[in-house]
Amino acid sequence: MIERLHRMGRALFGIVRRPMARAFDGAENPLNYLGALTIFFLWIVLISGIWLLVFFRTSVSGAFESVEYLTREQWYLGGIMRSLHRYASDAAIITILLHIVKEFVFNRYRSNRWFTWVTGVPLVWMIFILGITGYWLVWDELAQYVAITSAELMDSIPIFTESMAGNFLSDDLLSNRFFTLMAFLHLIGLPIFLVFGIWLHVFRLNGPRINPARRMMAASLIAMLVLSALYPAVSHDQAELAMTPQSLRLDWFYLHVYPLVQIWSPGWVWVFLVGISTVIVVAPWAPPQKKEQPALVTLDFCNGCERCVDDCPFGAVEMVPRTDETNYTHQASVDPGLCISCGICVGACPTATPFRSRGELLPGIDLPDRTASALREDIVAAGKQGDTPHVIVFSCRGDPQLPEVEKAGLSVVKVNCMGQLPPSYVDFTLSRGHADGVLLLGCQDGNCSYRYGAAWTEQRLARQRDPMIRSRVDMSRVAIGWQAPWSKNAGAIQKYEALLQSLEQ
Amino acid sequence: MKRLAEILMYTVFAVVVGALSVWPSYELVDGDHAIVSLVFSHAGERIGECRKFSQEELNELPPNMRKPADCPRERHPVRVELRSGDQVLYEETLSPSGIWADGKASIYQRMMVSSGTHALFVGMNDSGEQSGFDYERSVTLDLTPGRNLVIRFDTQTQQFLIR
Repeated sequence: MIERLHRMGRALFGIVRRPMARAFDGAENPLNYLGALTIFFLWIVLISGIWLLVFFRTSVSGAFESVEYLTREQWYLGGIMRSLHRYASDAAIITILLHIVKEFVFNRYRSNRWFTWVTGVPLVWMIFILGITGYWLVWDELAQYVAITSAELMDSIPIFTESMAGNFLSDDLLSNRFFTLMAFLHLIGLPIFLVFGIWLHVFRLNGPRINPARRMMAASLIAMLVLSALYPAVSHDQAELAMTPQSLRLDWFYLHVYPLVQIWSPGWVWVFLVGISTVIVVAPWAPPQKKEQPALVTLDFCNGCERCVDDCPFGAVEMVPRTDETNYTHQASVDPGLCISCGICVGACPTATPFRSRGELLPGIDLPDRTASALREDIVAAGKQGDTPHVIVFSCRGDPQLPEVEKAGLSVVKVNCMGQLPPSYVDFTLSRGHADGVLLLGCQDGNCSYRYGAAWTEQRLARQRDPMIRSRVDMSRVAIGWQAPWSKNAGAIQKYEALLQSLEQ
Repeated sequence: MKRLAEILMYTVFAVVVGALSVWPSYELVDGDHAIVSLVFSHAGERIGECRKFSQEELNELPPNMRKPADCPRERHPVRVELRSGDQVLYEETLSPSGIWADGKASIYQRMMVSSGTHALFVGMNDSGEQSGFDYERSVTLDLTPGRNLVIRFDTQTQQFLIR
């Protein structure tokens, strides 16, 4: 059932991603950095909001007038800032929605990833409340509608005896202090919680990507600026509580639920919202994902080098004081509650070398379900049989190109993530004559199921990151094919044939 | 070509953002309708009279529990009716709030009515009587389209306010 949902979601997601994949290279594709892009939009919201705050007046008449001043008289700066404030907020909703859908359909929310998923839910609520309180502050007809409907929603919670909505039905009941309260919520209270929420959201991630690529930031900012200049955000008429506005230009990104209050009832809207939130919160356990065994440290071979700590994308490995008699001061320790068994720590371990001839191949850190030893055996089994050029394909399990190469009957060695493959295994494959060429197939950066598999692999092969590949390896015999996990025609066979052709030459 | 496609993608993104931030517009009230809002909180009368304690009864009570009279906490529900001519717009018996049913009864109702002249009658009964009203007010008004007429009950003057 859940797998079917994932498949359907991937198909729907494909509608968005196909034109995007044509337009962008991997590192510049906004779909690969949706979380970071959301944070960037929130930066725009914050900076433009500070400008608006300088001119904003927290009173019933002052609120509308000050926003009108910014929009009309100071259109060249205040008006642009106001529009940026709105449009960046709206853009953040799109990236958040896509971020949630992407993490869901690619199954990156279960097992030990539940914490990041669950902490995203209050973040979404906070961002919506921030947006709604922002509309409230303008105190135009839309604000009047938002105020009354929000108060009706609050009134339906059976903890208040006096009706809050009644305060928004005549001007004489509305006080300036109310605007001070709303301004406090929108400008200080909620943003502080939001920053804390974002910190909590990425708390379990090692090296969270907070900023997208500069080019992506620049392009997004330019898009928002152009939109702000061509189509500036404007207010409705000033709120007049004796009248009910007949037609409103709703911001559907933030206010899509509000018409439902009239169509259903405030109570049912709460049921709807709380219901959706509850479903999202319990999703990681519905059903729970079968957990593979976490990485295992073998102290006899752990020298406390910390590379596994640096490379683990989920902060599951830490260094603790040594517990054995050796002279090393520290040893690696795996938190099973955080480890998602990607094997990237094995790829980082300098003792995971297939060249070891004495004793069992047991690295300092290893995956019990996909050991470094088994990986070496698979390479040997897939090795060269005759005199013709032979290529061994290493593929990560989530790689969309895997079915293609398996169907073609190529010699494939599977790893959990390409980051699990220590560079010494590439050296071993070539120098021991198991193959004449090596093709590495995996998920492109930004789409790696385990976050940093592609990035670390590239850096290790480029001799920029430990453990580096030995300089003796002829890199012309090594080809890499990264693909987004949604790619249909991944093109692995073409890459294979191109490598084979170059080997024959 | 790739750059053009990239610009196109950002343009589409900006257009979606700009469009959905204001479009489609939402029709809140039909063109020839007005809103009548009935909103107030009012505590009904207590369900019984207070009874003075006799000296003997007071003597039997612990010193910290002694009080001059025993008053029932519960209050009567509040019955409210709003009519426009012969048409009943709202009729409800509101329960007092609180687990001891000793709090105020609250009402917040917004009703859409056609614009034009309305002979409005609003009545409230808070004494538990089955018929008649303890407080009532009638007024004839011309409601323009989009008008938000608010009917409240002023607890100080004990009368309905219609604005």
